[in-house]
This record gives sequence, C-alpha cells and structure tokens, in this order.
Amino acid sequence: MRFSIKQTGCGSERIGNLTGFLKSPGAEIETPTTALFTQGGSIVHLTAEVLSQVFSNTKLLWLPLSNSIHLETGVKVQNDGVAKFAGLQGHATCTTLHSLSESTPMGHFELDRVPLWTKNGKKMISADRYMDVMEIFKPDIILAIADGRTSINEGGKRLSKSVERSYTMLKTCVDRCKTSKELQNSSLVGVVVGSGSEKKLDDSISNTLKHVDSLTGIALQGIVDGTEETMDIDSEILNKLLDKVGKAFPKDLVRIFEGHWNPSVVLSAVEQGWDLFDGSYPVKLTNMGVALKLNFDITKDNDTMYLLDMIDERYKEDFTPILGGCECLACRKHTRAYIRHLLNTREMLASVLLSIHNLHHFDQMFCHARQHIASNTFAVFKQHITKQCEMLKDFAPYRYKAQNGPNVQTEKPSSKKKKQRLVSEVKSNNGS
Amino acid sequence: MGSATNALIFKVQAECPITRARAALMKLPHYEVHTPVFMPVGTQGTMKGLLPDQLETLNCEIILGNTYHLGNRPGVDVLQKVGGLHKFMGWNRALLTDSGGFQMVSLLKLAEITEEGVKFRSPYDDTEIMLTPEKSIEIQNCIGADIIMQLDDVVQTTFQDHDRIKEATERTSRWLDRCLKAHKRPTEQNIFPIVQGLLNPELRRQSAEEHITKDVNGFAIGGLSGGEAKDDFWPMVSLGTEILDKNKPRYLMGVGLAIDLVVCVALGVDMFDCVFPTRTARFGCALINKGQLNLKQKQFESDLNPIDKDCECTTCKNYTRAYLHCIVSVETVACHLISVHNIAFQMRLMRTMRENIKQGTFPQFVKKFVNEVHPDKNFPTWIKNSLMSVGIDIMED
Repeated sequence: MRFSIKQTGCGSERIGNLTGFLKSPGAEIETPTTALFTQGGSIVHLTAEVLSQVFSNTKLLWLPLSNSIHLETGVKVQNDGVAKFAGLQGHATCTTLHSLSESTPMGHFELDRVPLWTKNGKKMISADRYMDVMEIFKPDIILAIADGRTSINEGGKRLSKSVERSYTMLKTCVDRCKTSKELQNSSLVGVVVGSGSEKKLDDSISNTLKHVDSLTGIALQGIVDGTEETMDIDSEILNKLLDKVGKAFPKDLVRIFEGHWNPSVVLSAVEQGWDLFDGSYPVKLTNMGVALKLNFDITKDNDTMYLLDMIDERYKEDFTPILGGCECLACRKHTRAYIRHLLNTREMLASVLLSIHNLHHFDQMFCHARQHIASNTFAVFKQHITKQCEMLKDFAPYRYKAQNGPNVQTEKPSSKKKKQRLVSEVKSNNGS
Repeated sequence: MGSATNALIFKVQAECPITRARAALMKLPHYEVHTPVFMPVGTQGTMKGLLPDQLETLNCEIILGNTYHLGNRPGVDVLQKVGGLHKFMGWNRALLTDSGGFQMVSLLKLAEITEEGVKFRSPYDDTEIMLTPEKSIEIQNCIGADIIMQLDDVVQTTFQDHDRIKEATERTSRWLDRCLKAHKRPTEQNIFPIVQGLLNPELRRQSAEEHITKDVNGFAIGGLSGGEAKDDFWPMVSLGTEILDKNKPRYLMGVGLAIDLVVCVALGVDMFDCVFPTRTARFGCALINKGQLNLKQKQFESDLNPIDKDCECTTCKNYTRAYLHCIVSVETVACHLISVHNIAFQMRLMRTMRENIKQGTFPQFVKKFVNEVHPDKNFPTWIKNSLMSVGIDIMED
C-alpha cells in the first residue's frame, strides 16, 4: 500500500490517497477518510450484498483482532486473506489489536505480551504471535502491536511500561515485516503511545522514529483506555497532542487516529493533518438507535439537531426520511416512523437501516471535508460542523445508552433530558 | 368464477396428470403471484433483518404480516395515516395478514373465547381487550393486505374434547359470516375462510362444505401443523383439497418443511406459510434438501464449500460454511446471511415444483425428491400413503 499527498489546504489539512492494494491494485482511496469498522470480519449489521448497495467503490475495512481472531483457522485453510474469507473480497484491510472504543478490563500485562480481550475471554499475545496471525490475514495495513490502552491521566509507572513494551513489540513487527514472504505487500504503521506524559510521549516518538524507514504511517494511542470517561478530553489538549505527534514525523506518512470521536473532534484532527479514522463512531450511533444528520451546507444556518434518537415517540407518525435529500437506501425508501417502529419492536432491520444511513452520512462528511480542503474553505466547514456538535453536548441518549445499550428505558427522564427533548422538538420542527 | 369482486383472479396454468398438483397465476391487487407459493412470515412488518429490496431479489411475491402484532405496534392509527402496511414497510408486492386469533391463543394464557369473540389481557398494558370477528376485519382492512383471514375459533391441534372441537368448528362458520359482513374493502382485499375441525374428518368435511357455499375467492386449511402425528395430518389436508373449489386457491396454514411442501403440493395445496426458515436461521441452521446444517458444529470450521453448491443466493455465492461457522450466533450478519439462503431455498423448491408441474414431470420430481431425502428407501408411512393416495408409488422404481 502506498500513501501520497495530493494537495494541502491553508493549514495542516491535506488531501492524499491510498493506492496499491493487494486485492484491488487499481483502486484508490482518497484521504482524509474513514475506514469501515468490522466485527468478525463483517461490516457490523451489513452483509456484502447490502454493503454493495451503500458503497460501490473499494473501501478500507478496519479489523480489530479482538473481534476477529477466531477467523484464523478458516482464513488459514482458504489462504487468500481475511477480506476474501469474510465475503468482502476487493476491499482493502487494516488490522489492529483492539478497537479503542471497546471497554475491557485493565491490567494483565506481561513482560512481552499484552492481553487480547475476545468474546471467549483473555488471550495473551506476543508480538510474534500477532505477526503470525498477520501472515495468515494478509492485511494491506498492519498497525504494530502496542500497549496503547492507557488514558491521558495514566500514572507514570504504567506509562513507562507502556512505552517500553510498545517499543520492544515494534522492533519485532519491523523485523517480521522485513523477513516474511507473506507480508511483502503489507504496510506497517507505527503506534505512538504514552500521551499521558510529555516525556513519555517524546520517548515513544523517538522510539518510533528509529524505525521510520520501515513505516508507511503512524497511529496515536495512549489517549483513551476504552472507558467512556476517558473520551471526555479538553479539545485544546487533544489538538496539541495531534499537532505535536503529526509534526514529529515525516509528512508522507499516513496518520491514523482511532476512536469513536464526534464529528467535531474528527474534523479537528483533519485540520491537524490526520488522514484516516477507524469508523467506530457511526457503528456506535447505530447501536444506540441514533441517526446522524449533519448539515453540510455551509450557506445554511445550523438550526437542526445532528443526532436523532430514533426510538423517540415523536417519530411515531413521522413519515419523512431521516434526512430529506439524502441519497442513501434507507432515506430513499424508508421513513423515520418505520425505523422507530423497528427499534420499538427490537427488529434487526432497525440496525440495518441505521447502519446504511450512518455509514453513508459519515462517509459523506469526509467527501465534503475533502472538497473544502481542495477549495481552501476547510476552516469554515469545520466551524460549521463544530457548532452543530456544540449544540448537543449533553445529548441524553449518548450518555445513558453508552452504558446500557440501545432501547433501554431509564427509570425517569431527568429534567435536563426533558428540556433537551423540548429543544430538539422545536428545532426539528423548524428544520423540516 | 362466481365471485362478486375481482380482487383475486386465479388462473390455473397447468395441472399434473397424476396428482392433484397444479400451477397457477393468482392475480392480486398488488402483485401477480405464481402458485404453488411459499410465503415467508414477516411478523412485525419486517422480514428478520432483510430489506424489502432483498426479498424482491429473492423472488418473494407475497409475504405475511401478523395482525395481532401490527395492531399493537405500530398500531392502527399509524397504519391508517400512512395508508397501510405496504407503504409503511416499503413493500410493493402482495401481502397476507392472519386474523390475530392464533397469536392470542398461542401467546396468551388468559384468552377466553366466547360467542362474541376472543377476550384477552394485553401483554403491552394489561388492559382487557375483546377481539371480535368485526374488530379483526377492521384492523385488517386498515393494514390493507391483499389477502386477509377470517377470525377463527382456534383449538390446540392435539385437543381431544369432541364437543369443544365441534363448537369451535361451527363457531368458525358463524364468525365467517360476521367477518364477510364487516368487510369494508372487498374490491381491494380478499377474505379467506378457514377450514377447521382439527383431526375429525366429519367436522372437517362439514366445515369445508359450508365454506364453499360462500362468496369468497380462496380458502385456507387451518388447525393443523400443531404437533399432531403426520399420519393424522395428511388425510385432513387431502380431505380439504378434495372438497374445496378447484378454481380457487387453497392455503395450508403453518406448513413449511421441504418434504411437507412437496407432499402437500401433490395433494393440491397452492399456498403455504411458516416461520421455520427464518426462525431456524436465527439458531444458525441452514436449509438443504436433506434437512438442515447446524453451522455451529465444529465440523464446518474448515469447510470452504458454500451452504449448498447448487444454490444461487448471494450467501452461497459469497460465503463459505467455514466463515458462517465463525460468526453464527455472534454477529447479526450471520442471521441475515442464513435467512437469505433459507428463503432462497424455499423459493427455489417452489419454483422447481411449478416448473415440473408445467412440464408434466411432477410425479418424477416427487419420487426423486423423496429418494434424495431417504436414500435408504426407508420412507415414513405417511409419505408412502399420502403420495399413494394421489397416484405416486414411491416404492416402485
């Protein structure tokens, strides 16, 4: 896989492309972009047949090993890579150890191994074992195995271990990539950790820089440990981090930022020159029964809510699509009332329709972002989206559903939530 | 055809010269349906995770909705406002709804049946509700399916009390009259009466003979497939198809296993419904001619074959048994993939039967099919006897 920068904007933001994929040599993926998050090798809730109705071009699949290591035996027997085994041949793949968005137990580290939390429990993984699986999965992009699930408030001792362990593991990954016949076409991405302390972060950066010739990109971890609380970071601190790490490496490395950050954070990262995101955000919304509805038109006022809690009673007789004018299959053929009914009856089609819309719409955000970078108007676009996100900082379902899963009734809606509902009702009435 | 309306036109295209099987075109307000047909069940206005577009790709021509569930959620008001279930769920082909009576008896312990209707306690808000024949039709008129069912007095199939069965059979006939009288959209929707009488041939005959005197466009055979012995089941089907009008479609309720479909088509049934193909998919079971594969089993771990190499569905073209084994019962995608295959399987079986009827080779097809299922020729008696009754001797080579 190759990454090249095609154009830069006013600030650090840039348009690039990923090419030279193993199974679709002619394909080009423009950045900044989002990958499609997978579980067990499949796009969450969507079969290959339905996915082809959402995207007709080659996409990058995001494959955390924690939810896909059980495919190993089958992929090995078929011997044609993980995408093909999962019925998604033709799409590019990027593998990593964990999804940063999943909550897992803490601790359990060993000298040269990190815990992999799978549906069948804990598996201890060494760098060599990780690369063994990579040889079988044959992904286009490999995020080096790292001990990166530490929060920004992590203690110094834990951070030292994290930086040390990640460095040792990176060396193994670099060696294996150089010598393995199977991995000649896979690209390695170095993982910077230790974000909780300036010194540790510097250590991790300089460790990674030692191998920069073997790397196609970098990723930044050590910011969140999987719990919801650690996602609540001051945007200035986050921006400084992204800026610092981005600038520490050569420009032509693709920069990957993981986590289910909201659109405002994602676009800030884009502004700092980050190129690729893991796609966990739309999946999270879908699983909460929430539809994403950003207003991309910078000439129009921000008068509508960008998240719709689709199980809400107010959509019961709303026979309009999630988003008027949206080209996705869910909006072309189905109504809010129908999706509300499907959520209310806990029917699986609810998640299918929400996935179709949320994946399409999140992808559209990146299309618009690229257009604005190209026409030097990215700052305006980012501001436009950020304003929408600020209007909904306390989005109630975002908080309670994150812990309880979708469709869970809270005992009593708080007064804050009631107020929120009222506000969004008025807004959405005005909006449509 | 003697019917007052043309909400249904049934044209027999070919008849098997030996058995009672026939292939026909059933023209309904929303779609022309090729029979014999299998109708997948989409209980709450959706087919278990599949998009209406996918159902069209699978060649589904008519699907089922459940009145009881739809009447509760989204509710009559919503359906009325949107203009019926077709529009609500985005399905442009034919629909059939049941009366809602069966769910009450099967789901609710508190149902009490009187001459007026079925009285039960709503599991949603615990209020007492009375479902009368008039109410059932009112809801079904609002849902707007092409075919709607009369409310019948449902008794457990294996129930033994003769007096209660007799009462239920006769009440079903009385309720039919009330349903027909309450029907507000006869030019757009067809009420099918339901032949009752459980396993009692006399009562079945009486029920069917009464129904054929009514001005209706088709019939259903109900009260079967509820745990009775197969040897008791098929004579009741046969009795029904013998009496019911040859020029109208006959619908056998709740039957959907491959072997049952083949035998009952031979006995002259045109329409079937069953939750089985989609329900079994959720448990990781994929249908094949010989029965089903439980994809959870370890034997599929390294099996790079599709579920069925002769199947044309998107699941079989794209996915291996080994991959399905990995994700079954973990990812919702697995459930969608197996549902697609299982519906494709049912559709393909019905299409094969229609083609064989049209080509005059249906008896040969039946023989081949039962021999594939029982290669040791150790056929159950009900298969031997039922097929013998319509002129197919499966023991003969």
